[in-house]
Amino acid sequence: MTKVGIVGVGHARFGKRSDATIRELAHEAVVPALEDAGITARDLDASVIAIAGEEFAGQGAPAAVVQDYIGLSGKPTFRVEAACATGSAGIRTGWSLIRSGLADVVLVLGVETMTHLSSARATELMARAGDTKWEYPFGITFPGFYALMATAHMSQFGTTREQLSMVSVKNHKYGAMNPYAHLQKVITLEEAMKSVVISYPLNLYDCCLISDGAAAVVLANEERSKQMNDTPIWIEGLGAASDAMLISERPTLTGLTGSRLAAEEAYRMAGITAKDVDVAEVHDCFTIAEIMAYEDLGFCEKGEGGRFIEEGESYIGGRTPVNVDGGLKSKGHPLGATGVSMAVEITKQLRGEADNRQVSGAEIGLSHNVGETGQFAFVHIYVR
Amino acid sequence: MKFGYTSWLPQTELVNGFVEQLKNGKLMGTKCKTCGEKYLPPRAHCKCGGVEMEWFEAPRQGKLLSYTMVTFAPESMSKYSPYIVAVAELEGGLRLLAQLTGVGPSSLKVGIPIQVVSHQVSEDRVVYKFKPV
Repeated sequence: MTKVGIVGVGHARFGKRSDATIRELAHEAVVPALEDAGITARDLDASVIAIAGEEFAGQGAPAAVVQDYIGLSGKPTFRVEAACATGSAGIRTGWSLIRSGLADVVLVLGVETMTHLSSARATELMARAGDTKWEYPFGITFPGFYALMATAHMSQFGTTREQLSMVSVKNHKYGAMNPYAHLQKVITLEEAMKSVVISYPLNLYDCCLISDGAAAVVLANEERSKQMNDTPIWIEGLGAASDAMLISERPTLTGLTGSRLAAEEAYRMAGITAKDVDVAEVHDCFTIAEIMAYEDLGFCEKGEGGRFIEEGESYIGGRTPVNVDGGLKSKGHPLGATGVSMAVEITKQLRGEADNRQVSGAEIGLSHNVGETGQFAFVHIYVR
Repeated sequence: MKFGYTSWLPQTELVNGFVEQLKNGKLMGTKCKTCGEKYLPPRAHCKCGGVEMEWFEAPRQGKLLSYTMVTFAPESMSKYSPYIVAVAELEGGLRLLAQLTGVGPSSLKVGIPIQVVSHQVSEDRVVYKFKPV
């Protein structure tokens, strides 16, 4: 069976991009990705386009516009969607196209525009991603779902308000060092703790940003990977899982079962354990989500996530550096782009190209991308 | 009669049946005749593949598992903001999400006993909510 390698990566600047629509953002990510792989659009066999929402995109069937704009018309393409994990669903799909033999070289592109909508409208659209029959009618929001998990985690394990804010402080520290990040601003613990409450106990600095952005990777089979790139980054483990739709139907509120199952599968496939991970990108849509991810991915024991951040274990130099590109919190979370952006960052880290954010000697990387409140979960393991 | 503080889906026969009983103060779930699995809120079909479901009356007493106060509401809910949304575990183990009213900040904590009551939101809307016991 052929291995699948990442041979080219590209990233658009995340942020409030009123200068661009999905097509220009896609172009901004795809051009450097092709250049990095040393190929042109002609050399691609197919594309997978990750876009979460049509109202966000401002375009029906948005992949149709994007594939043409980046010069791929004539080649097979389609859109994938798995809410906030859309980008990772795209990578899993691209990997499958190559492993099945349907294609040798595939572009996976994630792109989303969100900031053209008002905050109230964006909140409304995301609230409708909760069950529209039995959850949405109560006015529960996306931050609200994670706030329910935060209250439960704090009550059960003694996780503190300070520990939540510490995640935000870390991710802003690294986001300030990432030229592609939406909010390149260092914040203090005091600022993080005193910001306006969005859904108690979560405040503004516990919540990821609403952003525009795009990211792209070129995937290739083993033979082509070796021809195109001196250091292809191999995707050696993939895990995916899901969870009950209704949060009230789940046996636990203090972790995401989908994340745990996806991680177990990915570790098994790659033949590694959590201890072997040198650098990780995890789904920090809210600070509590990063703390639960430490636990669900096995970086620490269940209930120890708060202490893991407090003791600096997820900083560069700690046991498992996490989100050293700023994460969703500071880099931004343009839904479809996020999972692809995670793969871009891990590729740079494993190639040793992450500049002043480099985790020294990193050889094994992990990305963890969650859609909704765990109804979609993807974990990928990358090896240099 | 419509269900919920807000909704935009067409209301199915199942929800109509649920709402009729809710107006009388009864909280109804459905039980699969094939595997016995109970659902609250009700489903028209079972996850086991079973298609024959029967109504059962769910307990209305339970305890609070978690809560949040939503201060940034979606567009459709802004007129009710702020409000508390909670998850409770009812007697027998079924769990439910709903708004919680009648609790001050000092007594609001995980584990307090609650009951599920019917609440008339407006002339044409009804919902269930949690109240402290």
